[in-house]
Amino acid sequence: MLPSVTHPIGDFVRENVPNVLGYLPDFIQPYIPSAEIATLINIIICMVAIAVVGIAPVPVLIYMERKVCAHIQCRLGPMRLGPHGVLQLVADIAKLLFKEVYAPKGADKFLFYLAPIFVLTAPFLNLCVIPFDKNLQVADLSVAIPFILAMNGFGILSTLLGGWASNNKYSLISSLRSGAQIISYEISFAMILLLVVMLAGSASLGEITASQSGHFWDWWIFKAPVLGLLAFIMFLVSSTAELNRAPFDIAEAEQELTGGFHTEYNGMAFAMFYLAEYINLFTTSCIATVCFLGGYHAPTIGILAIDNILNFVPGIVWFLGKTFFVVWIYMMFRWTFVRPRVDQLMALEWKFLLPVNLLLLIFGVVFLAFGWILP
Amino acid sequence: MILNIPFSDIVFYFVAVFMVLLSIAAVSSKNVLRSAIFLIASFLGTAILYLLLKAEFMAMAQIMLYVGGVVVFIIFAILLTSHLGENKLSTPISQKFLAVFLALTLLGVMAKFLFNTKELSESITQKSPEASSLIAYGERLLSYAPNGFVLPFEIISILLFMTLVVAITIAKKDNKEEK
Repeated sequence: MLPSVTHPIGDFVRENVPNVLGYLPDFIQPYIPSAEIATLINIIICMVAIAVVGIAPVPVLIYMERKVCAHIQCRLGPMRLGPHGVLQLVADIAKLLFKEVYAPKGADKFLFYLAPIFVLTAPFLNLCVIPFDKNLQVADLSVAIPFILAMNGFGILSTLLGGWASNNKYSLISSLRSGAQIISYEISFAMILLLVVMLAGSASLGEITASQSGHFWDWWIFKAPVLGLLAFIMFLVSSTAELNRAPFDIAEAEQELTGGFHTEYNGMAFAMFYLAEYINLFTTSCIATVCFLGGYHAPTIGILAIDNILNFVPGIVWFLGKTFFVVWIYMMFRWTFVRPRVDQLMALEWKFLLPVNLLLLIFGVVFLAFGWILP
Repeated sequence: MILNIPFSDIVFYFVAVFMVLLSIAAVSSKNVLRSAIFLIASFLGTAILYLLLKAEFMAMAQIMLYVGGVVVFIIFAILLTSHLGENKLSTPISQKFLAVFLALTLLGVMAKFLFNTKELSESITQKSPEASSLIAYGERLLSYAPNGFVLPFEIISILLFMTLVVAITIAKKDNKEEK
């Protein structure tokens, strides 16, 4: 499971660390594990890269969320600080940084501070397996899809712990609601990814992307006619519920539960929940891009002159473009649909999404067996 | 290698000590919810051990099923019980003696069998990762050769599928009764 993609930077470190360590005095030479030190340096580089890739889109996403929300409601959104309010977020972050972090009276302090740490596990670790371009991937795991599903479990945990440890009735109710919601929707989330794994014939995100090379109709959303589009829509619905985003935000329903499971959090602890929410949005959009929209492949259309221009654009640009398109869909979801009640939400998952998912899986087998997949 | 000890051995002992400490914490903690957290951490340790054995899919299944599934349900059940952590759990001394006796017996029996196993002396790094890859698992499960598992796999998958369908059916019936 070590960073496995061959990459110029990784090779450079592996080559040069033994050379640099060779300058140390001779009597300690036999005790220096140079290969392990090179691996550790590579791991640290990967961690820094993931932290940057994870945190960098968050300001863009928050600004985008505010502007999309404002324009859909015929408002302007943040306008005062900087041109078109781009500096508003800097002010918000400064405010959160300088706030005092304290736990409410009677709260379980250990679990109260553990929850914001847990919540960032899943989004950051999921970023490790996503291929942003041919070489821009930390680890091309052969078990990437099970890895993503496994890491999502930490999200539920942090919600449950944070809600209980706050010693607040609203938080507890909210965390129970959201726990039930995420566990239920995790099933259909997993089943749609299973369909993609079945169609692509691999659980590695690198190979899933490779299976969609070619023109834009080779992406899984089009390659399996109708089935792909249905699966994509189902993925959007179930992942919106996984992300706890509106319209499935009954866990945070402000009108009913004050602020949801993080009512009692403030300062940086609250900022970590907020950060995790947006990194999760980005990560889930990345997964949608990889599984359905062809990953870093350019949307070539089969006319050589245009294709050459499109292929000239680097893969990361296409990848981020598609990812932000999916993010925009999530944001439009948020302001277009109304929030269902708790029982309606559960009914939607267990009585509609789950049976339809089972049908989709069976149709996937039929499509593969009869060769109805586009060549 | 540091002083001729493979790096994976150092990681193994580190994880092993971590797991033992957390398991003790899980059974000795007074607060049930904290016990569940320590249990999760020790399950994560097990997952790291699977990774050291190059069984990536086993590690992922461990986290997916135990951290994402079983322990979340345990925590759910704990959260639904009221007055958590107010009346502390206590065990009478006679039970403690019985527990220590049972634990030592189990340890003795396990040591008897484990020390006789020859594969334990082999270094884990010599094994090839292909034997435990996802594709190898899949082919093994679906093969009908003498060492394949296609029949148990089919029986289990039909059973699980039936459970899922029955769950949906039960959910649907409840709705009709309400009307």
